Amino acid sequence: MAVIISLMLFAITVAFNPPSFNANTLNAVLQLMLLLSFAAAGQTMVLIGGGLDFSVGALMSSAAILTTYLMNGQDGKFWLVFGLAMLMGAAVGFLNGFCCIKIDLPPMIVTMAISNVVTRVGYVLTQGSPSGWVGPSFRQSIVAKIAGVLPSLTLYALIVFPLVFFLLNRSRFGKQLYLMGNNPTAASLAGIKVNKVRVLMYIFSGMLSCFAGMIGAGYMSTARAQIFDEYAFTSLVAVIVGGTAFTGGIGSYTGSIAGALLITVLSNGLTVLQLSQPVRNIVQGVVMILLLILYNRARPVRQ
Amino acid sequence: MIEGVRRAFERFRRTPAFMGFSLFIFVVILNIIVQKPGQFFSPRNMNSLFSKNVPLLLTTMAMTPLLISGTLDIAVGIQLAMVNVVSVMVFQQWGTSLYVGFLMGMLASLAISAFCWFLVSVLRLPAMLASYALIYIVRGINVLVMPSPQGRIPDAFYKMYDMLLGGVFPFSALFPLVVLIAWYYLMRTRFGRNIYAVGGNPRNAFAAGINPVWVQFQAFMIKGILTGLGGIALTLMTASGNPLQAEAYGLRSLSAAIIGGLGFGGWGSMACAVFGTGFLVLIQNTVYYFFSFLTKAIPGFTVTSYWQNLVSDVIIFLGLLMTIVTAKGQREALRQGFVRQFKRRERLGD
Repeated sequence: MAVIISLMLFAITVAFNPPSFNANTLNAVLQLMLLLSFAAAGQTMVLIGGGLDFSVGALMSSAAILTTYLMNGQDGKFWLVFGLAMLMGAAVGFLNGFCCIKIDLPPMIVTMAISNVVTRVGYVLTQGSPSGWVGPSFRQSIVAKIAGVLPSLTLYALIVFPLVFFLLNRSRFGKQLYLMGNNPTAASLAGIKVNKVRVLMYIFSGMLSCFAGMIGAGYMSTARAQIFDEYAFTSLVAVIVGGTAFTGGIGSYTGSIAGALLITVLSNGLTVLQLSQPVRNIVQGVVMILLLILYNRARPVRQ
Repeated sequence: MIEGVRRAFERFRRTPAFMGFSLFIFVVILNIIVQKPGQFFSPRNMNSLFSKNVPLLLTTMAMTPLLISGTLDIAVGIQLAMVNVVSVMVFQQWGTSLYVGFLMGMLASLAISAFCWFLVSVLRLPAMLASYALIYIVRGINVLVMPSPQGRIPDAFYKMYDMLLGGVFPFSALFPLVVLIAWYYLMRTRFGRNIYAVGGNPRNAFAAGINPVWVQFQAFMIKGILTGLGGIALTLMTASGNPLQAEAYGLRSLSAAIIGGLGFGGWGSMACAVFGTGFLVLIQNTVYYFFSFLTKAIPGFTVTSYWQNLVSDVIIFLGLLMTIVTAKGQREALRQGFVRQFKRRERLGD
């Protein structure tokens, strides 16, 4: 359904502004959509497991800073950066999971507090100004065009998408995740180590966020603190639009990819129609509320 | 006598506010050590503490009825800015007195609160996400009303706000004081009981003849009034208009409320909000004075504001971690309450 809505939106945009339909726009939309779908991968897992991860944005920014700082315009440091980013993601993810279990508070608040700390560390390290550049070949591997339209970022997607699909649909972890999101008590009675699965899902989410941050750094070519912070919210919206329920246990990554497409097309449309910034803000909020009304209403008190 | 004091302490130890109170006392002592007692208790220091932080305190107090009745609104921060923007723009464009501006700001705050109530209670959307979406909408409206920071309020107003009544009592402290008195009156009415019942379990409350949606509407209206007061205090403090300020207040007030001991639904009191905010504010104060002490004590030691932010955020996170202990204390209090009820019944039984 999200795909249909986004195609319609795109058609409307093109109808209002015909010159906006060209190879460059398609390329940009695809790039941003793939970036968002990487960021949404971890969020999908966490939401299916009945949690919420708000540190996606802060982790992406930190990974982007790490990438530009270490690469500093040189090639051949990809694996070093990749390893360190994964380590950072796993560490923060572990902290998220551990604190969500130990502090009996909504995960949104816990992950927000942790992401605040992560952001502040980013500020301390960069002193508030951009530092370094990504290596040219790494940048080329992201922004180069295949056949004029397709961004070479798709090659990364060919690795990430199957991996996430395998984790969610074919692995034991995925099955346990769905069961736990549906009913944690039943899951633990069925012999699943609920806490272990929960920590694992936050770790995967952290690692995927860091990967998305690296890609984002390549796309932007330089990074500063808080550069990707809004992705915490947009990735959440994309996942919800894709039909993943807040209550946990329901959802798929295909839906999230479609949701990412919808969000990107929407923001592209708002840009092309040349709306002013406050109007765009209002439209974003209203769209979010409409989507919540469509997908996520709680059950009534009187039954 | 001593027995009575001990019992009163035991009773206080079981209230929700106890953990927030202990944290607050701890940080007050820490602050006094860092800043010297004479300086800390001086009227000037007290005045600047209150006048700078009354908006945050009022925001946390606004959050309290919502948390008790089991909902949430993290858009309160940007709503403060909305009250500020509306007040200043009405004052500036219509040429009316500033009081009319404040009245319009208050009405705007009530309108947004009613809208948020409609989303959260009537449409039953997840409160956190609905109010997060509301942040975008309110921010857009703010910028539409006032495209850039501007405006200036008459000198008399902000001088009054920074005044010391009788040379001792900060004028700004009147805001929370009045709110506290009104709140403790409200708690003695029927609403005071209903709000806890609805927060504790909406289904049971409904079965007992309380309309949860209506009680939550009342809670949202109280929040609207308190947010309006917070916005007025903010306007008096900054003496100008800025459409994009105070956005972080939403999250900070939420963490203050939780550190103070408010739970999600049916647990906590206004005192929790006061102690939680006090903890948050004084921690930042302490960190600031500690770093300036270090800079003076160690030659060549310089530190940026980024470090201060990092340290205070880490401390806020640690404060949240401390709630592990709070939650344990609360569970213990609840369990003891049950045990006592149980024993009483046994005694009545034979």
